[in-house]
Amino acid sequence: MKPLDDALRAAHVAGDTDALIRLYAQAAEGADTSDSAAFYLTHAYVFALETGDARADGLREKLVAVGREEPLDPARPPLR
Amino acid sequence: MTSEPTNLAAVRRPIDQAHGLSNAHYIDPTVFDEERQAVLFDNWAGLGVGADVPEVGDAVPVTYLGMPLLMVRDKEGEVRVFQNTCRHRGMILVEEPRKIEGAIRCPYHSWCYSTDGRLVSTPHVGGPGQNTHAGIDRALLGLIEIRSHIWMDVIFINISGTALPFEKANAALMDRWAEFDKPLYHGGADSQFQLEVKCNWKLAVENYCESYHLPWVHPGLNSYSRLEDHYHIEAKGQFSGQGTLVYRQLRGDAAEVFPDFDGLADKWDEAAEYITVYPNVLLGVHRDHTFAIVLVPEGPERTVENIHLYYAQPETSDALRAKNTAQWKEVFAEDVFVVEGMQRGRHGVQFDGGRFSPAMDGPTHLFHDWVASQLERHRSALHAAE
Repeated sequence: MKPLDDALRAAHVAGDTDALIRLYAQAAEGADTSDSAAFYLTHAYVFALETGDARADGLREKLVAVGREEPLDPARPPLR
Repeated sequence: MTSEPTNLAAVRRPIDQAHGLSNAHYIDPTVFDEERQAVLFDNWAGLGVGADVPEVGDAVPVTYLGMPLLMVRDKEGEVRVFQNTCRHRGMILVEEPRKIEGAIRCPYHSWCYSTDGRLVSTPHVGGPGQNTHAGIDRALLGLIEIRSHIWMDVIFINISGTALPFEKANAALMDRWAEFDKPLYHGGADSQFQLEVKCNWKLAVENYCESYHLPWVHPGLNSYSRLEDHYHIEAKGQFSGQGTLVYRQLRGDAAEVFPDFDGLADKWDEAAEYITVYPNVLLGVHRDHTFAIVLVPEGPERTVENIHLYYAQPETSDALRAKNTAQWKEVFAEDVFVVEGMQRGRHGVQFDGGRFSPAMDGPTHLFHDWVASQLERHRSALHAAE
């Protein structure tokens, strides 16, 4: 896990969101508990969501599938 | 400073007997706060322009009378205004203008919002790796949206949520200028500027309303736009301003002009109108360009004027735009000494609010009368609630 931790730290320092998404998703796959996996997957998802990354929808679906997220509400019209 | 309500009775008299709003309305922080609610928050006030957020995802934070707000162009291309505060712990969401590529992420605990204000992620809210909790209903915790309406590219907001719909509140003005209800193209970086004036925002409105000062303060107009070429525009309780019958198009070195807006009546060949959308937006319309001035009250004695020029087509002559901007900048700069002078005059303790020329100050008095009416409405509601 140490090389992954180092890579994550470096990605945070560099502000490399693409790497953060990839590395947190990788950390989720290698996690030894469901809570750890969900923790890492959440981080991958939030960075993908914020940047409009194409991986966001798939990451949310994974979280929904394990009961750690819920589907999106419908869009809201402007308040006029 | 006063804790007694100001006397408005003299303001509401007919123009030949009326006095203007008293000094306190220009220098007293307590009255400024009262007007903040009664005049600005309770009505449709100008905040910015659509050109401030030209592209999908653009987000611009703005502090409006102390409130942190956020102007956003959402994923559908609609302009919206939100409070710039996370619903979790009230953290400011966006510090600098930027593009929202996917969602607005709070820098504190990463709660995320879509550009239409939905709360879409609450990481670890139920514990590490658990992103939901029965006690956190996201449907109720979206961004607080401020009611907004876009007209003439100005973003109007109604903070209280209680004003009539914009189209109803401003029906007469929108009808008067229906011919200009068409795409307006902001001239770009060379077609906007800002003035900071040491005066209460209302003085900028009052000066803009009237043509009475033109021969003395804007002498450059005397050669072709005399006082008698101007007319009052007076809609009591709604809007006021002035028009000219002798608008002259700006010409470039090769006598070129800006393209006209399509479909205008012949009247606009040589007419132009300048109207205040109460309370704080000054608009001007001409056959070949419009402008919007959004007055931002920064305090009882300080105002920022954000000026924007618009054209009938997206592409216009760079040189001609620069000349037009310079011309308007010169005109508006000429007004600075009078609005700042009137502000300083408000510290004369025996000044009685002044008087109005019954023939020449009608539009200005109507604005005073409207402000007074808003304060009376506000005070009556407070009294009824006691």
